[in-house]
Amino acid sequence: MKKLLLFLLVLNFGQRAFCQQQIQKILKGNTLNKFVARPLDDLLDTLSANYNLRIVFERDSVHRFDVVEHFFNEPLNKVLDKVCNQFDLHYWVDAGGIIYVLQNVDDMARLKGLARILKPLERPKRDTVKADTTDEQDIEALYDNKNKPITKAKGEPKQVINIPRKAPGVHLSVTISGRVIDQSTGTPLPSATVHIQNNTLSVTANSDGNFTIFQVPSDTATLDVSYSGYQSEHFKMDADKLSKPLVLGLYPALTTLNEVTILGQKNGVMNTDVKKVGVLQLSPANLDKLPSLGEKDIMRAFQLMPGVGATNESSSGAYVRGGTPDQNLVVFDGFTIYQVDHLYGFFSAFNSNAIKDVQLYKGGFSSQYGGRLSSVTEINGKEGNKNETIYGFDLSLLSLNAFIETPINDKSSLVLAIRRSYQGPFYDKIFKQFNTSTASGFGGGGSGRPGGGGFGEQTTPASHFYDADIRYTYHLNPESILSWSFYSGSDKTDNSRQLQLPSFLGSGSAPSITDYTTYGNLGSSLKWFRQWNKEIHSNTYLTYSSYFNDRNRGTTGTTTDSNGDATSFSNGTVESNNLKDIGFKSEWEWQLSNQIKLLYGGFGSRQHINYDYVQNDTTHLISQHNTALSGGGYTELEIDPNNRLHIQPGFRSTWYQPTGKVYLEPRLSASYVINDNYTLKAATGQFYQYMNEVTREDVLNGNRNFWVLSNGSSIPVGMSRHFMGGISYENDLFLLDVEGYYKVLSGLTQFTIAQTGVGPGGGSQSVDENFYTGSGRTEGIEILLQKKLGRYTGWVSYTLADAENKFAVYGNQYYPADQDIRHEFKAINMYHSNRWNFSAVFIFSTGHPYTAPLSTYSITDAGGNRSTYFNVSAKNAERLPDYHRLDLSATYDLLKINGNKIGSIGLSLFNVYNHVNTWYREYFIQNNAVVITDVNYLGFTPNITFSLRWK
Amino acid sequence: MEIKKYLLKICFAFGWMVTLLISCKKESQDSSTNLPVVQAYLYPGRTLTVKLYQQKSLSDTAKYGTVITGQELYVSDGSNKVKLTESSKGTYTYNDNTFLIAGKTYTLIFNYLSKDVTAKTVMPSKPQNFATQHPAVNYIRPTNAIATSDTLNRFTWDNPDSLNHVLVFDNVDDTFFPLGRGTGFGNNTSNIFDINTERKSAYYVVSNSFPYYGNYQVILLRVNQEYINIIESNSLNSNSQNLLNVPTNVVNGLGIFTALQADTLSFSLNY
Repeated sequence: MKKLLLFLLVLNFGQRAFCQQQIQKILKGNTLNKFVARPLDDLLDTLSANYNLRIVFERDSVHRFDVVEHFFNEPLNKVLDKVCNQFDLHYWVDAGGIIYVLQNVDDMARLKGLARILKPLERPKRDTVKADTTDEQDIEALYDNKNKPITKAKGEPKQVINIPRKAPGVHLSVTISGRVIDQSTGTPLPSATVHIQNNTLSVTANSDGNFTIFQVPSDTATLDVSYSGYQSEHFKMDADKLSKPLVLGLYPALTTLNEVTILGQKNGVMNTDVKKVGVLQLSPANLDKLPSLGEKDIMRAFQLMPGVGATNESSSGAYVRGGTPDQNLVVFDGFTIYQVDHLYGFFSAFNSNAIKDVQLYKGGFSSQYGGRLSSVTEINGKEGNKNETIYGFDLSLLSLNAFIETPINDKSSLVLAIRRSYQGPFYDKIFKQFNTSTASGFGGGGSGRPGGGGFGEQTTPASHFYDADIRYTYHLNPESILSWSFYSGSDKTDNSRQLQLPSFLGSGSAPSITDYTTYGNLGSSLKWFRQWNKEIHSNTYLTYSSYFNDRNRGTTGTTTDSNGDATSFSNGTVESNNLKDIGFKSEWEWQLSNQIKLLYGGFGSRQHINYDYVQNDTTHLISQHNTALSGGGYTELEIDPNNRLHIQPGFRSTWYQPTGKVYLEPRLSASYVINDNYTLKAATGQFYQYMNEVTREDVLNGNRNFWVLSNGSSIPVGMSRHFMGGISYENDLFLLDVEGYYKVLSGLTQFTIAQTGVGPGGGSQSVDENFYTGSGRTEGIEILLQKKLGRYTGWVSYTLADAENKFAVYGNQYYPADQDIRHEFKAINMYHSNRWNFSAVFIFSTGHPYTAPLSTYSITDAGGNRSTYFNVSAKNAERLPDYHRLDLSATYDLLKINGNKIGSIGLSLFNVYNHVNTWYREYFIQNNAVVITDVNYLGFTPNITFSLRWK
Repeated sequence: MEIKKYLLKICFAFGWMVTLLISCKKESQDSSTNLPVVQAYLYPGRTLTVKLYQQKSLSDTAKYGTVITGQELYVSDGSNKVKLTESSKGTYTYNDNTFLIAGKTYTLIFNYLSKDVTAKTVMPSKPQNFATQHPAVNYIRPTNAIATSDTLNRFTWDNPDSLNHVLVFDNVDDTFFPLGRGTGFGNNTSNIFDINTERKSAYYVVSNSFPYYGNYQVILLRVNQEYINIIESNSLNSNSQNLLNVPTNVVNGLGIFTALQADTLSFSLNY
């Protein structure tokens, strides 16, 4: 009997996936034409009985509402909209086709419990119900004896017999492959979990939502499919279904629903992959639950996790495990992004409205990725809604962000997202904080006047940033998808102004100074996905990425000399760094068996870097034009000899033309599931980097970052080795994850540039470029404790770390690297109550190391001029004060009557108690003594955001 | 049971790593503030003079540090080691004008606060054929503040081996007449300024090279790299992200001990 019961349940689940569509059809297809005057529960009961609907509600609270309304041929969904709206209720259709009527979204969990003990109605058969029936049946009480919940199964034989049983005989050991998608938008769901019911077989869908399972015992197996933020589904297979391309659609969960049915499934804003060492996953859809300063920011969100530095307000780039942002590969839809931030690093360059998901590999990453020493951030853009048009906007005190997702035809869809800042007080505050501090210096001769020498005309420069994402996806056929992705982002500053001419220069029209700075990135990729057969699929990319960082300063005007002759003049400097990266790559996955998956691929690219520093159109201070060709291949095996062990050996080789060498990178990662709760994991590997971002220090006009290619001599190819391991404990409520790492790095590059001949000579200028090379080592332990479920969620993390560098220019000792942080503690707290989300983020970290002057001394040179010099501490021997701050936010969700989230209003408070966090210190000598100025990070800053979506 | 044992081992391993990391913290007691500051320019045929100073605290507004007195200083030319006498407080001299000769290596040795302080320098040869194109030129007003102005004059000398040379312009007038209202162009306001000629054999002066009208003594110095290193360093625009110690050739000390040769001519900038 028990077996039969189970069988019936299974059959029932198999049909669930199609229930929601049916219910939606019923709701839209049937109309009510009647005058109603009765309690709401009575009406719901009637609808339930007459239209074969399962409506769950709390009778006590609903009974007090009286519906007095005349419905004129109104579709049932409109009827529900109307009555729910009238009484401030919501209804929600779940994947199983059950309609929940609730007052608060948090009632959902209680109603679901109720649904389990409710006795389903003995319904009239679907075809016996007339479309416009007005029958009124009195319904017996819906409550069944609570002591007998098992009767649920007994009550459903009628549904069971509706299941089509056309399937031919059962086949043993079949291969099932398919695609998991969002049923409402048609977009694939990467990393969705597909599990064979009553079996240990389980796979995770890849980034295109595809999966393959071998040796499924029967072609009538049931697949359990789950994905973060979606309702878990059960799909009953049969030979008929398996003969066609299998597409498994999930429905989004009610936005605020905190329910997890499968251990290991993640519903949080940010998740840790317990099976892999050093992997973080993030879905931008949940980002609005965290405090944001102006924009939902994926890179800032990662900084809340252990192992990613959180105290670099001047860089959105990821400081991962003692690495620097240029050691983090940022791949967006297959192409590399070189400029990852906006507004002096305060915001990342990625618009979360255009992003599907992001993975951050903190080290020991797969051989599929290469070219960076430390970490990989892989960003996948949205494919776009294939079913209907959605559009919306976000407005904050910083920027306006608008997007549209729309199907073009039945084969293609388009996503367009555009963001632009506007120069409000909030923007200006951040701009000033970072611009004046980076660009200020003290004019020559120790005048101590900020803003650079010359004629200190301080104006507020016009400045803005923008970015745009376009993605067009075209389904060539069921096996092939072509997608084109385009990204463009840039920051522009116009500091042009009219100069007041000092009178000693004679009269004439006042010269005007032009000063344009623009930097950013433009990238595009064409991706071809092809499912060759059930076992093999490939992604092939053509990519282009272009980074630019230009500054154009000039002065034009006329002067009139003492003879009255007017002379016009024009001069200035142009500094331009640009990088063009054209590449192709092809990535293949071949599922050999359930135990072995082979990944392999090839890549090639041409990188060209120009760096020009030109004065008066004629004098080339710096002129670098370098090209590097590179190419190679990788192969990797994913071996799962049993359910517990996972081994992933890989190998990557790259030929790099400027050095003419082939670089070999072995990689290995593994995990072992000790039991349901404990997992051990480890990874190691060798990594090379062929380009570096270096900083040209310019105290008068602001530091400039630019990219250079390794040349094997003054700029070596960087190399690192990672060793990392960890253990995680996970149960239904909590995750405890501990990871340790050790990295050694060599071939690191630092750059200084000394401008000579600028002094009183004013004549010939020249520039000395010095590249220093060194080595480094980093080590650390990260502890993460995360509460995954409930009204209160969040995590605390602690990192103990050490990052050291050794550059001959600073001596023969290892010294703390600039990014070294000993202790870092982060507490992320989120509390959810109905439509409200509150969050509090507290960050504490040891101060960054810095170099301080210990004393001064003065010397008269041979010409008789006295100069004062600093006696400087050992490199980075001092520590800035500890960094800490508290951010708070409150978000109110705007919901439609049917439970769909259509927007939110949020208030964020950054650095609530206005703690003074020091960025760096400036020293200048005035009146023979040293004046020390702290340059600080942002103080208390509030922000408001408003988001709306339509479809 | 087995698992628990395993876990315990891992926990121990992590604990051990934590201890290692914490114990790695370095002591950063820096005694470099006690190092003496040496200032010595060795010219052939002149008295050998070495000045010793203490360093100044950051808030000290005195021009120079306190002089260091009572030390026993020796200078060796490789074969002879002579003792310097403290002719005035903190200034140590050796009066034999024949001691300093081109081509010899001179080493300063003394013991300060139980540390041996040493410095080494090589006397260069005398520059040859130092000449000016014009002994006097009229000042031409430049068109604007930033433009490269016209060449006024050229100074030349022999430099087949690309040695380091520095030009020193010293306005020898009693009263200084600025070229323009304010302090003129460039950022030089001093009546003495020097220019690194970067191993070249000629230097062109332009209108905005000069702050004042008048008579200049132009000194060509043939110098060693240690001298270039210190004059090229500039502490004025520094922050905690880019601070570097100024290079010195004094071991266990700061400052400079260097030999150099000079040649001088006159030049006038007329109104």
